[in-house]
Amino acid sequence: MPNILIRGGRVIDPASGADRVADVALADGKVAAVAPFASLPRSPADHVIDAEGCLVTPGLIDPHVHLREPGFEDKETLATGTRAAVFGGFTTVCCMPNTSPALDLPELLGFIRERARETALCRVFPVAAITKGRHGEELAELALMARAGAVGFSDDGDCVGSTALMARALADARPTGLAIMQHAQDVTLTRGAPMHAGVVSARLGLAGWPRVAEEVIVERDIRLNRSIGCRYHVQHVSSEGTVEIIRRARADGQPITGEASPHHLLLTDEACDGYNTAAKVNPPLREWRDVRALREGVADGTITLLGTDHAPHTADEKLLPFEEAPFGLVGLDTALPLYAEALVDSGAIDWPRLVALLTIEPARLCGLDALGLGSLALGGPADVTIIDPGLSWTVAEADLSGKGRNTPFLGRAVRGRAVATIVAGVVRLARRPVAAP
Amino acid sequence: MSTTSRGPAPTVASREDAPGLVVPAGVVPPPTDRWTSRHLLGLGTLSPGEIRAVLRRARELAPLSASLGPRDDNPDTPWALARREGQRLAGRVVANLFFEDSTRTRTSFTVAARRLGAEVVDLFVIASSVSKGETLIDTAKNVEATGVDALVVRARQAGAAALLADHVRCSVVNAGDGGHEHPTQGLLDAYTIAEAHGRLDAFDLAGLRVAIVGDIVASRVARSNIAGLTRLGAEVVCVGPPALAPRSLEVLGCRVSHDLDEVLPTVDAVMMLRIQFERHGTPAVAPLPGAAPKRSAAIASVREYRTFYGLSEERAERMKPSAVVIHPGPINRGIELDHAVADGPRSVVLRQVRHGVAVRMAALSMCVLASA
Repeated sequence: MPNILIRGGRVIDPASGADRVADVALADGKVAAVAPFASLPRSPADHVIDAEGCLVTPGLIDPHVHLREPGFEDKETLATGTRAAVFGGFTTVCCMPNTSPALDLPELLGFIRERARETALCRVFPVAAITKGRHGEELAELALMARAGAVGFSDDGDCVGSTALMARALADARPTGLAIMQHAQDVTLTRGAPMHAGVVSARLGLAGWPRVAEEVIVERDIRLNRSIGCRYHVQHVSSEGTVEIIRRARADGQPITGEASPHHLLLTDEACDGYNTAAKVNPPLREWRDVRALREGVADGTITLLGTDHAPHTADEKLLPFEEAPFGLVGLDTALPLYAEALVDSGAIDWPRLVALLTIEPARLCGLDALGLGSLALGGPADVTIIDPGLSWTVAEADLSGKGRNTPFLGRAVRGRAVATIVAGVVRLARRPVAAP
Repeated sequence: MSTTSRGPAPTVASREDAPGLVVPAGVVPPPTDRWTSRHLLGLGTLSPGEIRAVLRRARELAPLSASLGPRDDNPDTPWALARREGQRLAGRVVANLFFEDSTRTRTSFTVAARRLGAEVVDLFVIASSVSKGETLIDTAKNVEATGVDALVVRARQAGAAALLADHVRCSVVNAGDGGHEHPTQGLLDAYTIAEAHGRLDAFDLAGLRVAIVGDIVASRVARSNIAGLTRLGAEVVCVGPPALAPRSLEVLGCRVSHDLDEVLPTVDAVMMLRIQFERHGTPAVAPLPGAAPKRSAAIASVREYRTFYGLSEERAERMKPSAVVIHPGPINRGIELDHAVADGPRSVVLRQVRHGVAVRMAALSMCVLASA
């Protein structure tokens, strides 16, 4: 693999606090040097990427994607999902276990590792199921799966509803050092509910999924965990009240984290009007007060993770009536400018903090910082994303590089885009010319 | 995907009727120029003027929603009206595409379409799951491809009619979509209330108060009635236990009460809805196999429900003398409505059924001719 020289970009490495215009040299799949602008000699064999006006960051990490393999290859595969990842600037994704079969055995984690090695364009780490078959009845082999490469545990798509089972999961996961990631939804409060309980659901004649169904689970789990001390992560926070619950728990010193998704940071239940299945997602889009609370949570450090919850579905499935269409929308291609719009353009945080939320924070959540991911430390993996924060574009179907077309953001004018994605020293995406020798 | 027909209609003042429109007797006007839609998907997206346009048309057609009596070839008789209207959809095909069975609604649409001279085909598609088989859209497109001019759609999913309207070129008339709307029922209820209170001239229901009692939350009939009646100027109060009449319904423009005895003496019409046991999830105790479930997770017991929300003979006596009782059917006699009230002098239940034909004739002809 050729050496790569990235010249003249604003290098932001939140792990070290670095933020300056500099050159970055990559050699043998590792970060070889980060040095003042134009100070690195260009060797004849180098590929050179001009990054002036761009941000040069550690490769972006998405801790929450659905790659649908094995079992739902008509929706997505590791190959197509990781293509969408690198097109969106991500060098690492953590895939959820709601596949068929569910990722509930160490052997299946081995399958993911093999398929990733053969077909993926970026790094893929599996989040393993908490319960066998994700049925919420019997605990899976958390310790064995931790040893086999799991980077967290979740029954995502379904909540671990049983209090006793959650208590055991937290206890069993505690010694692994990995986080229990909860899809918080008390299903007894959300039966048949395809969207947020509010004005729009009342008008459309649809059952409503109330905020409190998320909040009671998070409140319960935090209470359970108080005497256990496992790392506990709330996936795709959607409710104002949940933000407040997490804020209090963190202030109390508990090992709790929360995650926000691009759609929850930008859209409300109005997006579902006209029975728009592209905006049907679980947990549902809520109201402006929830959007505001999530942004405030990011701003004050309550919410420290961002995850796309990339959830591809086939066009046919999203053409079903609203109540029957599946939940979920694709997010990898469009996430970066949407995060920027919701969080940086709104003034909630600045670019260095956003980069931290997309690099070192998810690396820490999933224990990937131990592999050197999420930072630009010398000798660490050469995973780099180059972002043009001013690049304006309009989201079109042609911009969606996975299999799914299910997004409510089609036609939206956005700003900011990955112009190069480098995974382990290999340029996987280059929207700017790479000068070869 | 086009969403033009699926979003809420803008409320524009110019879509209002010109007041005092007079229709000369015996002259059947062309379809009103104020109705431009190929589809009737719900009342919540219509303006008061559009709703009145359909009701006015229904009033003209009212003589046809009954037996015409002895044959009479003179002009200005129902027979002459029948001959004229019998040409309106001649050569056209109306397909009843019912994914849920409903004898009374389907029959009413059939009679209405035949009165207009259309051919009618009935299609029952009772499928428990469409997700992996033929989809709703596939089915509708296949039916349309046989050359039908209008689809009358009944489905158990909210938004189904709007979804099909986006994917077919012919007219779509919503005959009930899940918990969303049942617009022709809303129209015929408004017509019946207007008739009972002498408001057929302008369909202005200002000053009237209507209570809708019972299972509001699962009811498409309630949603269409709230939308239709409030647009015509009436005040609507929804009454029921909190699980069936939650406060959140107030966003629809109605009041919510949990006290029928307080509301009943103040209203000019009361609509009793049945509890849709089948839409409220599995009861805590499963009924015996084969037995019709008469328990709902939404109520503690039928007895308690009837005690507080049933319209007994005794309760009905406390209504205003002019107040009427309506019910969209089917009636759970002895639960929400006592026999004596259902068949009593206040009941205009059969007037409702009768007006359904005229309302559906109006809706079908206006939609089909708008698309021609």
